[in-house]
Amino acid sequence: MKVIYFKTLPSTSQKAKEIAKEKPEPWLVIVAEEQTAGYGRKQAIWYSPLGGLYFSVVLPKSKIEDLQTLTILAAFVIAKVIKDYYPASLYSQPIQPKKDNLSFEPVIKLPNDIYLNNKKVCGILTENVIGASTSSASVRFSVIGIGLNTNIKEFPKELQETATSLKIELGKTVNNSELLQKIVRGLKEQLKTISE
Amino acid sequence: MKLKLKIKGKEYQVEILEEGNGVKIKIGNKEFFFGEKEKEEIAVAQVSFPKRNFSKKEIKAPIAGIISEILVKEGDFIKREQKVLLLSSMKMENEIVSDFEGRIKEILVKKNQEVREGDTLIILE
Repeated sequence: MKVIYFKTLPSTSQKAKEIAKEKPEPWLVIVAEEQTAGYGRKQAIWYSPLGGLYFSVVLPKSKIEDLQTLTILAAFVIAKVIKDYYPASLYSQPIQPKKDNLSFEPVIKLPNDIYLNNKKVCGILTENVIGASTSSASVRFSVIGIGLNTNIKEFPKELQETATSLKIELGKTVNNSELLQKIVRGLKEQLKTISE
Repeated sequence: MKLKLKIKGKEYQVEILEEGNGVKIKIGNKEFFFGEKEKEEIAVAQVSFPKRNFSKKEIKAPIAGIISEILVKEGDFIKREQKVLLLSSMKMENEIVSDFEGRIKEILVKKNQEVREGDTLIILE
């Protein structure tokens, strides 16, 4: 797994696309500690301060008919990583879930958002570059961008009702690089079945 | 009206006649009649025209979606692999790049327009 780390970037997906346009290298991962212009669908701003996990993965080429599956598979992988990660860590460090959030259950809002405690904790944006002509079309490459609110202590007022982080929900700091490894490994495993 | 059509090297005699409420098309010794209610696809399937037209340079929608941005204008000369428009589809953002180079003759879609898979978006000269 080739990972390029940046202290700060406008957007990890923008960077990944720039690199992939020159030479699409499947499974290249671009990570930034913060994004100054993180975005979601329709150019919506993705709040990306220090503490969160922001990364984009260049995916192997897939067939046009499989594109929709990419986001859903990623959402499934991330939800599972969040869910599996925490019961194990209970042994080393007891977690006191805040409020009444006794069941730590991530919910996928298909296809591209993950919620915890009814608030968004993760957003996924798949971007495809597709060559089109009169008689055929082919995917040049896909980049999947993931914004996971991990160690964000608090959100600005306007986001407090709709966004949350693992730190807020668990009351403890999580390991960003461990989560990153697990998510990318899970993605590889899941996408093996559909990519070339 | 009589005409000759050459398809895949074979010549066909085609005659188009008005008859009653419809149109009769004779191809060789086969006859096809199109009444008001008749489906025209039958004839197309039977004469099997070539599906692909290699002389035409068109950029078609690879998937259904909404045109979120048009990045070129009529008269522009575009290169191969140049980004021509953005298509939002299935909660993904798709950059459509051209498989051809050439001058843009016509752009058939507008921003925010919904398109179906296979719709022609841009025609090149």
